[in-house]
Amino acid sequence: MQHVIEVVEHRGGQTRKVTFELATQARELAEKLGGTAHAVVLGNGAAQLAESLKTYPLDVVHVSEDPDVDRFLIDPTIDYVESIARATGPSVILLPNTMYGRDVASRLVARLDAGMAADVTGFEIEGGRVACIAPKLGGATITTCAFVDTDYGVVTARPNAFAAQSGGNGARVEQAAKPQSKQYVMHVESEVEEASGELGLEEAPVVVSGGRGLGGPQPFTTLLKPLADALGGAVGASRAAADAGWVPYSLQIGQTGKTVSPNLYIAVGISGAIQHKVGMRSAGTIVAVNKDASAPIAEFSDLVVVGDAFSIIPELTKLIEAAKGYIK
Amino acid sequence: MKIVVTVKVVPDLNAPKSIDPATKRLVRTGIESQLNPYDEYALEAALQLKERLGGDTTVTLLSMIPESSKETLRKALAMGADDATVLSDGALAGADVAVTARALAAALKKIGFDLVICGGLSDDGSTGGVPGALAEHLGVPGLTNARHIEIESTGLKAQRETDTGYQVVTCPLPALVSVTMAVGEPRYASLKGIMGAKRKSVSTLSAADVGVDAKPKTELLRFAPPPVRVKARIVEAADGPSGAQAIFDFLRERKLV
Ligand SMILES: Cc1cc2nc3c(=O)[nH]c(=O)nc-3n(C[C@H](O)[C@H](O)[C@H](O)COP(=O)(O)OP(=O)(O)OC[C@H]3O[C@@H](n4cnc5c(N)ncnc54)[C@H](O)[C@@H]3O)c2cc1C
Repeated sequence: MQHVIEVVEHRGGQTRKVTFELATQARELAEKLGGTAHAVVLGNGAAQLAESLKTYPLDVVHVSEDPDVDRFLIDPTIDYVESIARATGPSVILLPNTMYGRDVASRLVARLDAGMAADVTGFEIEGGRVACIAPKLGGATITTCAFVDTDYGVVTARPNAFAAQSGGNGARVEQAAKPQSKQYVMHVESEVEEASGELGLEEAPVVVSGGRGLGGPQPFTTLLKPLADALGGAVGASRAAADAGWVPYSLQIGQTGKTVSPNLYIAVGISGAIQHKVGMRSAGTIVAVNKDASAPIAEFSDLVVVGDAFSIIPELTKLIEAAKGYIK
Repeated sequence: MKIVVTVKVVPDLNAPKSIDPATKRLVRTGIESQLNPYDEYALEAALQLKERLGGDTTVTLLSMIPESSKETLRKALAMGADDATVLSDGALAGADVAVTARALAAALKKIGFDLVICGGLSDDGSTGGVPGALAEHLGVPGLTNARHIEIESTGLKAQRETDTGYQVVTCPLPALVSVTMAVGEPRYASLKGIMGAKRKSVSTLSAADVGVDAKPKTELLRFAPPPVRVKARIVEAADGPSGAQAIFDFLRERKLV
């Protein structure tokens, strides 16, 4: 494996910070491996997004606005990436550890007879081989895995785990040739948005999450949202809150939701079940507000404030607002 | 219609887990095993379809597990699956995503299917890579993260979760679908189901039976405990402004506000 290919997740040309984190990481890895760094941007809005990727240290940005990419589920994307990967040669393929990233990665495992490493938070090069660092078993162990017996390694990398650094000489933008035409059969009939297009949870520097302890949907907007806004962050939730229908599943954090690594995670009325923990334990600082001092979340928090969220959170928001006013 | 549900057996979700330094595999001895919870949702989705479609719809379990874990499948049979096929071979121990997908694909080609339903991930491996790779090897449409599935005359129609909502996607059969927990809580086995499960057929295939000879594409080099977190500072009886002040001071100290 010598080259590095980033596959970019976006919607109509709008992308998230992780795209630039991976572009930066692609260059770093390519330097160490003595290869080239590539990005692949497909679908509606790709050309415009490729322009903003030019300011990152990539060698080539492969672009196609082929409408099939958005009309059909995943298959056209995989055909493009496979053909670019084969033309480029043995490579590490980088994706974000999101639903999209895991989906694309899993297909490539079969297409390229590749190895897969998920939720990767770091890399090492050992004897010319790429090794991936990833927490496993609910964070109980940190593993280092190498790819063996294959020309391709597919990696889904955790958002916020790598730094984004623009620079370089300006990538070359190339039109990706349409792969041999196929009859695609998975039709995307319609798209429904349930969560507003706010700051992506995965990349928010601060996440304020609520759980069953909030007792209903309302506190998410009256209690947590103002606090998140004051801190410049986003609102998340436990599965219990999503299951109860208080918030959409797209806000859920954990094994079956999103994995976040913000600088600050505030868990409000969340007990800290293992399935929740795996989605947030790598946050820089964890603060828990809980009525129960013995809730499991105390075992992996930095600060536990034992008390009633309804009386604490509004006061905290006020303090933060006031401090901001003072600094201004 | 023949529905096949892939099921894995995993260590008890809440048991502390570790890796054996010698084999570099998950320690399973001394830990109860259970069905992978995500596969119970896949089975629930299959049983719902069977109820809706009626007729000659059958639900078969396919599981790549050691012989010794076979009994754990009884619970899935008791929930309502018709029979089970176990792919069991020492050569497949320590399988990664690449090997698992190849092996399951080989077994599926052997036993036949109209629809394969997978759980979204396994509790122990947690890569979620198998369903997509499996669909590729089978050469059938692979629709992941479905929260609702319907069978229509033209094929399958599903609501598929995305990061911000959902999509409606259609495809012809045969196909593979992976589901999320939103398909509905897995049902409990009835007493009748439990009694009936004892008589249901569980057949075994070896790697040679299905003609799979796959090598892992990943190798665990080493593993280490995570950095220890300093014990939390605990502020008791902190209702109202005092609790708010405690958090605020702490955030100040850490330069987070
Ligand atoms: C297969 C599987 C997958 C799962 N995946 C996920 C996942 O991805 N993400 C996830 O989060 N969960 C997941 N779960 C569920 C998980 O096991 C827990 O059930 C869930 O996280 C609990 O949510 P909670 O902490 O909000 O609720 P609870 O466990 O009920 O905790 C509520 C907490 O609120 C506190 N509280 C109550 N009132 C107040 C108040 N007024 N002020 C302050 N504190 C208060 C209580 O002391 C308690 O600690 C999964 C479970 C399974 C089996």
